[in-house]
Amino acid sequence: MDVVTNALKGEGIALSFGGIEVLKGLDVEFRAGEITGLIGPNGAGKTSLFNCLTGAYAPQKGTITYAGQSLDGLPPAARASRGIVRSFQHVALSPDLTVLENVMIGVARNHHAGWQHVFLPTRRGREEMARMRADAEQALAELGLAGAADKLPAELPPGMLRLVEIARAIVGRPQVLLLDEPAAGLNNAETRDLMRSLKSLCSPDLVMVVVEHDMDLVMSICDRIYVLNFGAFVACGTPQQVRQDEDVVRIYLGSDDD
Amino acid sequence: MSDHPVTLGRFDAEEARLAGLKPADLLSLGLAAALILLPLLVGGSWIFALGVCFANSIGVLAVSVLVRYGGEVSIGHSFFAAVGAYSVAVLDTRFGLSLLASLPLALALGVVSGVAFAWPSRKLSGIYLAVSTMALALAVPELINNADGLTGGYEGLYVSQPVIPGIAMSLQRYYAALIVLVAVVYGLARLRHSRQGLQLLLAKAHPAAADAFGTRRVWARVAVMGISGGIAALCGAMLGFAGSTVSPSGFTLWSSIFLLVGSVVSFYGLSLPRALVGGAFLTLVPQFLSASGAWIPVLYGLALLGMILLGHYLPRLRAMIADRKGGV
Ligand SMILES: Nc1ncnc2c1ncn2[C@@H]1O[C@H](COP(=O)(O)OP(=O)(O)OP(=O)(O)O)[C@@H](O)[C@H]1O
Ligand SMILES: [Mg+2]
Repeated sequence: MDVVTNALKGEGIALSFGGIEVLKGLDVEFRAGEITGLIGPNGAGKTSLFNCLTGAYAPQKGTITYAGQSLDGLPPAARASRGIVRSFQHVALSPDLTVLENVMIGVARNHHAGWQHVFLPTRRGREEMARMRADAEQALAELGLAGAADKLPAELPPGMLRLVEIARAIVGRPQVLLLDEPAAGLNNAETRDLMRSLKSLCSPDLVMVVVEHDMDLVMSICDRIYVLNFGAFVACGTPQQVRQDEDVVRIYLGSDDD
Repeated sequence: MSDHPVTLGRFDAEEARLAGLKPADLLSLGLAAALILLPLLVGGSWIFALGVCFANSIGVLAVSVLVRYGGEVSIGHSFFAAVGAYSVAVLDTRFGLSLLASLPLALALGVVSGVAFAWPSRKLSGIYLAVSTMALALAVPELINNADGLTGGYEGLYVSQPVIPGIAMSLQRYYAALIVLVAVVYGLARLRHSRQGLQLLLAKAHPAAADAFGTRRVWARVAVMGISGGIAALCGAMLGFAGSTVSPSGFTLWSSIFLLVGSVVSFYGLSLPRALVGGAFLTLVPQFLSASGAWIPVLYGLALLGMILLGHYLPRLRAMIADRKGGV
């Protein structure tokens, strides 16, 4: 029962841009303790759904609730402070900050020392930064990036930047973790390590949703999978069920499923 | 694992890093020490000009911090400078209060004006924001002249209250400006390594990502303008104190544009050496060039062009040199 109440739910989410319907009244339930996959062809609306859930887009219709509480009308920053966190499909790191500093931003929402601690050498300011740094170092280490901590993003290959993006999302112990194509640009070994890390992150009160084109990853780590096409769900179920669904095979998996 | 002759140099740098000092920090410390000792060596007019140069350097930092942390450009910072300058001059002439009382007031009013400007303009960026800052700059001389009962109008005010009675005023003007400049540089160095500093830098590059991690972009804009306005007000306060007179002619649109020019020629640097380059460009270059009469604007323009070209090609030259070294 507990598992169900801690879910992130959307009812009738409809989003359109200038008359073009991008999401056509979606009902979703992302449960805590599970890894949910969200797949679908390019332009299906996966990222747009994430944007609605995090508050970056305001859907024209529908309601979104987390753990029974409505999120409607809350700005992205307020949803972040409730532990709803995402990674970006297009890596969005600051080029001015080191890898470690970029990841430290992932815990910033849990800290509140005021401006006096910025400009004066106070103990509280020092301790806050030390704690943020320690958390970020740990997250980097979990993803095998400890050696890159002091590098600038421009000095790293795209696959590693992707992992930094994920480190920033997981570092603040989120309640809801929305990962947008976390394995894009990773090689096979990196993808395997990532799968292991994501599985080990899994906990009874974490809602994890993964948008991904890598079917091996989705099929092997997800408990449930939603399949999106042209802004509507065509299937939902366990990897086994989705794999055997005729519509899904036709639309998306194609020859992949031999 | 005993002999690493190749990594020796790197190891030294590493030790310095562990001690908390980078080569750039050492340069800044050396420079600060030299400036502290300088009045022992050079005479009155130089000391006066350097005091004004320090004040201008603070103004250059105010513009650079907006560029670095906000990604925006201002051609209206003379407004905030005027707020600071008149805080000092009015408290000095009307109430007999020294910099000790008026400097905190200048800072507070500068921050408040920056925030008050940022809020209504929070949705503007790029050229639109720059033009709206210009409106601020254009309003300043009019405002000052209209409030001539307080500000002294066209004639301006003379700042004469010493901070520490009994010490030569010329030295006080020099050292007060130097201290405030060093304090601003220190504050900005701290900002870079603070949580708020990291959040501002992310908000500049990717506002949507900052939003998603709990940093509202409106907060970021308001914070950057508050900091920048506060620093610009400190610039104005020190221009008044170090330069001894405050009048509307010191806070025109041209002053704002020169602050931006100073920021550009210092490559928006926030360190002491960079700020001094910008401040010197505002203060000392015109003095050097004043001997050349009607050619001043042309030579100034050429000097500006030279600095910008240097900034453009320096990274490439460095890369070329690094390549050569790497190739050996
Ligand atoms: N801000 C926007 N303005 C206009 N159209 C948009 C906007 N955001 C998304 N769209 C449109 O919505 C549709 C779905 O886009 P979305 O990015 O959600 O797809 P996706 O499933 O994430 O695709 P991909 O696998 O390529 O990332 C696309 O047709 C896109 O053009
Ligand atoms: Mg997408």
